[in-house]
Amino acid sequence: MKKQQLLEIYRKMVEIRKFDKVCIDLTHQGIMWAGFHSYEGQEAVAVGVLSHLDADDYVLSSHRAQGHALAKGSDPGKVLAEMIGRLGGVGRGRGGPMTFSDWGNHFITTTTVGSGVPIATGIGLALQTRKKQGVVISIFGDGAANTGACHEGINLGSVWRLPMVFVCENNLYGEAFPFSKSTAAEHISDRAKGYGIEGVTVDGNDVLAVFEVVGRFIEKARNGGGPSLLEAITYRIRGHYEGDPENYRTRQEVDAWRKKCPIARLRKYLLEVASHTEEELLAIDQEAENTIQKAKEWSLKQPIPTLDQMIDDERITAR
Amino acid sequence: MNKTERQLTYAEALREALFEEMRRSDEVIVIGIDVGVWGNLYGVTRGLLEEFGESRIKDTPISEAAFTGCGIGAALLGMRVVIEIMYIDLIPLAMDQIVNHAAKLSYLTAGKAKVPLVIRTQGGVGLQNAALHSQSFESWFVNVPGLVVVMPSTPYDAKGLLKSAIRDDRPVMFIEHKKLYRTKGPVPEEEYLVPLGKCSLKRKGGDITIVATSWMVGKTLEAAEILSKEGIEAEVIDPCTLATLDTESIVDSVRKTGKCVVVHEAPKTGGWGGEVASVIMEQAFDSLDAPVVRIAGMDVQVPYGKETELQVVPDAEKIVKEVKKLVS
Repeated sequence: MKKQQLLEIYRKMVEIRKFDKVCIDLTHQGIMWAGFHSYEGQEAVAVGVLSHLDADDYVLSSHRAQGHALAKGSDPGKVLAEMIGRLGGVGRGRGGPMTFSDWGNHFITTTTVGSGVPIATGIGLALQTRKKQGVVISIFGDGAANTGACHEGINLGSVWRLPMVFVCENNLYGEAFPFSKSTAAEHISDRAKGYGIEGVTVDGNDVLAVFEVVGRFIEKARNGGGPSLLEAITYRIRGHYEGDPENYRTRQEVDAWRKKCPIARLRKYLLEVASHTEEELLAIDQEAENTIQKAKEWSLKQPIPTLDQMIDDERITAR
Repeated sequence: MNKTERQLTYAEALREALFEEMRRSDEVIVIGIDVGVWGNLYGVTRGLLEEFGESRIKDTPISEAAFTGCGIGAALLGMRVVIEIMYIDLIPLAMDQIVNHAAKLSYLTAGKAKVPLVIRTQGGVGLQNAALHSQSFESWFVNVPGLVVVMPSTPYDAKGLLKSAIRDDRPVMFIEHKKLYRTKGPVPEEEYLVPLGKCSLKRKGGDITIVATSWMVGKTLEAAEILSKEGIEAEVIDPCTLATLDTESIVDSVRKTGKCVVVHEAPKTGGWGGEVASVIMEQAFDSLDAPVVRIAGMDVQVPYGKETELQVVPDAEKIVKEVKKLVS
């Protein structure tokens, strides 16, 4: 990987972390009304996977989509505005934190768990039918992996050899329910054999490992080799949502995972292996802080839409 | 017989609509179970595979959620997708995709994305398909903003409405009836469209308005002929599009006749007929000489049996009986 690309990956991960912090604060201030799901601790998955994408590629995301959207290159100000229900948001404030889409950036979120996988296959089908270069990344969680829609979608994408990569972001909890209790298989990626595609499990807190495997899968998809299934094991540091009582796991467990922070890990690599300096990284940290603060200030200036602004053009387009 | 009186079956008319629209635009594709080689249970998609090939006629695994979602995804990229769900009874398997995604994505993207998706399916009794292959679920979709719901009753309407549905940028539930596929009617050779959201006047009359859908339109017209012999002239209106409903045409007719019955095959309770009755009460209460009456399916599971399944849905005899109670 080129030096500059590595630093961009670091920058993006820091931005996503800082963005998350802003969302938490806005939730506690009552400005983000409800439905915020933190992405803290999972940044290596979003950035490792989505740094590969071009403008012509597509993403189907689910809960915690803010991390994915920023990694795909969505404007943080417009995403934040959407999440606080403002007219300047990527969907005019209609989606909120849980179900926003940024179609201008080819980014769709659906949050009935598992439902995005079939929709992703359709984007893959359109790309295949039109003989386009683009690929589709379908990102879903370990919870979604056990839904029928997810299974049906991966099967369809596999049997039609669509230009896709299925990414199971396994943060070890579906809401309050641990992966160990929801899934008998050792790895979600073991299921790839059943679809006749390649499956790999990686350490999802190691952004370089994620980046490398996904890069290979995307190349394969672009060259007509069909989809693959990546499982990235990571950990959801905060509760399922802000205010989650978290009575289903121990403080020790969370603390142990905090020590595996993917950003700290990349930082260490950049300093010790890639010969970057502390000053360089602090400068990036500061730039990321500025980007996110600017995004916050801009989003807070956006008006809250009236009911008419919420629904008027929809009345024309939908009924 | 002149050209405009060419007779086609409902299935042939639908098939012709698909051929025409697929020839008109490369972006039109068909996705569903056995729509290709097999060509659909009633032959509606027969021959499409030979002309348009496997890239546009997609036979799918039996996985309704997947291929419905797939249709949404392809539609998001601007393809005009016709999904086929073999029986309306199987739609619950794809309900999340239809209700939560097809109906919402245009709204959630503030109109930047469109979902030009047609979901063709068929419902109703009449072929002894028993409790899980004979139902009428149209009311469910009428209650979901963001969906257009179409139910054609004749070959002419079926063709013209399907063409309009394919050209529309909104998701359309296109609900056919298994007993109609073999019925014949005039279909012009020259191209035409039937607009979405407009009622079709099937019979003129001044004594009572009968609003009927799908297979029930034929039953109602049969009843109207019987009533006519007894001096009662019924006006028969087929809404064609249940959502959004052309309330104006219905209300105008009721203002003229002062009486209305609604006929549909779906179970009465929670059925779409209640909606029509409410609209008339809200908008034409002053003109009503009698309460609006619903003649609908019984609130029961559809029985398996040639005689019994027909007993749970309206027929001409039941319609005549109810109308006479109102008019006499």
